[in-house]
Amino acid sequence: MFKTNNVASRIFERQIRTPAPGTSVHSARRFYENLVPSFTIYDVECPDHSFFKFTDDGQYFVCFSRNRQDLIVYRPTWLSFSCKGEDCDNNQELPPQAKRFESFFTQLYVKPLASCNELICKDFFLYMESNQYGIFATSTAQIQDARGTDGAILGVPSFEKITIHIFRLEDGFKLDEKVFHNDCVNLTHNMGAFLYDDLLAVVSLRYQTIHILQIRDSGNLVDVRAIGAYCREDDELFLNSSSQLAGNRGDLVDNGTNHDQPNSNNSFLSGIKQRLLSFIFREIWSEETDQTQRVQCLKKKFYFHFQDYVDLVILKVQFLDRHHLLIKFGSVDVGASRNTDQLPAFFAVYNMETTEIVAFYQNAADELYLLFERFCDHFHATSINSMYMNFISSHSNNIHALEQLKSMKNKATSVSQFVKKMLSSLPLNCQSMSPSPYFDQSLFRFDEKLISATDRPRQSTDHPIRFISRRQPNILKFKIKTGPEFGGADGRSKKYSHFLFHPAWPLALSFIQPSLFLPPSAVNIHFRR
Amino acid sequence: MHPNLSDILGAGQKPSFHSSPMGSMLGNLPSFDPHNFSQLRPSDPSNPSKMVPSTYRPTHSRTLPPPDQVRATEAKNILIGNIYQRAEEKLRSKRAATEHLIPEHGCKQTRPSTS
Repeated sequence: MFKTNNVASRIFERQIRTPAPGTSVHSARRFYENLVPSFTIYDVECPDHSFFKFTDDGQYFVCFSRNRQDLIVYRPTWLSFSCKGEDCDNNQELPPQAKRFESFFTQLYVKPLASCNELICKDFFLYMESNQYGIFATSTAQIQDARGTDGAILGVPSFEKITIHIFRLEDGFKLDEKVFHNDCVNLTHNMGAFLYDDLLAVVSLRYQTIHILQIRDSGNLVDVRAIGAYCREDDELFLNSSSQLAGNRGDLVDNGTNHDQPNSNNSFLSGIKQRLLSFIFREIWSEETDQTQRVQCLKKKFYFHFQDYVDLVILKVQFLDRHHLLIKFGSVDVGASRNTDQLPAFFAVYNMETTEIVAFYQNAADELYLLFERFCDHFHATSINSMYMNFISSHSNNIHALEQLKSMKNKATSVSQFVKKMLSSLPLNCQSMSPSPYFDQSLFRFDEKLISATDRPRQSTDHPIRFISRRQPNILKFKIKTGPEFGGADGRSKKYSHFLFHPAWPLALSFIQPSLFLPPSAVNIHFRR
Repeated sequence: MHPNLSDILGAGQKPSFHSSPMGSMLGNLPSFDPHNFSQLRPSDPSNPSKMVPSTYRPTHSRTLPPPDQVRATEAKNILIGNIYQRAEEKLRSKRAATEHLIPEHGCKQTRPSTS
C-alpha cells in the first residue's frame, strides 16, 4: 500500500489514502517495519522473579515468585528519563536510571496464590481478555502410591489437590476457584485446559472427564457440563434408575451390590466411550453393501480391536467452536512416555449439544491433515473479540509460512511420518503463540529454529538473530543479540535463551539460562530507542 | 450521438425515477431499483448501524436467486462446515449400504463447492 519506506511519508500517505477493503490491519502493521526494537540494554538488574508472560493485550506482565507461591503483576510502561546538558538528543548512552527494569515495568501488586503445601504451576496461564481475568493453577505434590478409587483409571499419577484460580488482573482480586481432588490435570504449557470466549475446558485425566466451566462476568466459575462417563445432564439419573432395575432382579443372588459407578459394574459402556464406539461401528458398517462382507469387515476392523478401542483414554481437548470439541484419544502410556509419535492416537470431533461424534480420525489421517493445512487458523479457535488472533501467521493465512510447510513436506522422507508429526501438535495449546507483529511472516523473515511465536527456551547461539524484511529482500531490519558475540568466559558451554515479546510495542525481553532448570543468568531488554 | 440510458443498461432494465423508500436526508434522489434497500437487516446484532440487504438483488438476469431466498451468515465456521460436509458426503456415497437411515443434522443447505 505504501509507496515509500520512510515513516514520515508513510504517515502522510495514510492521511490521504484508504487501504484496500479488509486490509486496514495489514497496512497498519506495516508501520512495524519502521519501528523496530533495535536497541538493547544488556544484563538489566531485575528482581529475582520467574518472569512468565505478557498478556495478549499487552496490559500486564505476569510473574511468579521464585518460591512459586506468589503472583506478581507488572504494568508495562515505556521508559522516560530526563537529561541535563546541552546535547541530550545525540547522546548515545542512556542515563543509568533509565536502564533499570523498573523504568519499563511498574509493579502493580504481589498476591499470595499458593498455600503452604502447594506450588504454582509456572507454565500455566490463560487470559480472558474481555474482562481482564487471569486463570492460574496451583497443585500439591504428586501422591506417590495412588490407590485406585472409584472411577479413576490406573497408570495416571494423582495429585491431592489441583486448584484453578481466577484473578482480576487489574487489582489482583481473587474471584473464584475450582478444586480437583485426587486428580491429574496436565498443566504444563496449558495442555490440560482450553479457553474459548468464556468457556473453559479442563481435562481430568484420572477420572477421564472433560469439565466444561463457564466464567461469568462476575468472575464466578460455573459448571456447565462434565463429559466422560455421562454425556447429557440427566444421563446419570437414567443410568442409575436402569441399573437399579437390573440390581433389583439380581438382588436375590448378590446382596445389593453398589451401583453408583455404572462403568465398573454394568455390562455396558456409557458416556463418550459409547458414542465413540458406536460411531466407529456405524462407519465400518456402512462401508460394505454385502451382508457377509460387512460382517467380515466388522470382525477385522472392529471386534479384533475392540478392547483397544475400549481402553482408549482422553488425553487432550480443544474447542473448535462453542459446541464442538476436538478430542485426542490415546493409550494411557502416552502420559509417561516421551516418544508420542510411535503410539497410536485418534482424534474425534464431538458436538456437545447433540452429544454426537461427528468425525473420527487416526493420527496419520490425510483428511485431517488437509483440514489442518487449509484451516489452521480455525484450530486456533478464538472468539471474535480478540481481533489480533486472526493475524498470527500460520500456514493457512500466510503464503511464506505455507511455502515453508510445503518445502518441509517435500523434504520429508515419509509422507505419513510428516503427517503424523504435524498432527501431533493437535489439539493445539491455548494461547501458546505470541501475537507480536514482529513474528508476522509477511513483514519479517527470521530463523524459526532460533526464535518463533511460540515462546519456549531454545539453545542460544552466539550470533545475533536477524529479522530481515520480506518486502525489501535482504534488507536487515533489526537484530536481537542476547549477549557478547564471542560467548563469554565459559567458552563452549551450552546456553538456553528464551524471548518474550510485547504483543504491540517494539519491546522484547530475552533471558539467558545456563540450563533449563536454573533461573536466568542474564536478562536483556530490547526496545526502540 | 448520445447513447440512450436504456441502451447502456441493457434491454429489460429501465432506470427508475421513483422516489427511494429510503427517504434519506439528501432528499428523494432517483434510484436504479427502489427495491434494493427496502429490506435491510443489521449484519451483526451488536452493531445495528451496519445494515446489509437481507435479499440478494442481482443486477443481471443470467442467474436469478429463488424468490424466497434470505441471506444469512452461516453459524458454523468454515472448518466445522467442512467436517460436516465430508461426513455427509461419506454418508451419501454409502447410503445404499446402510440399512438404517441416520437422521440428518439440521437442515440441508445448498453450498458452493469448496474443493
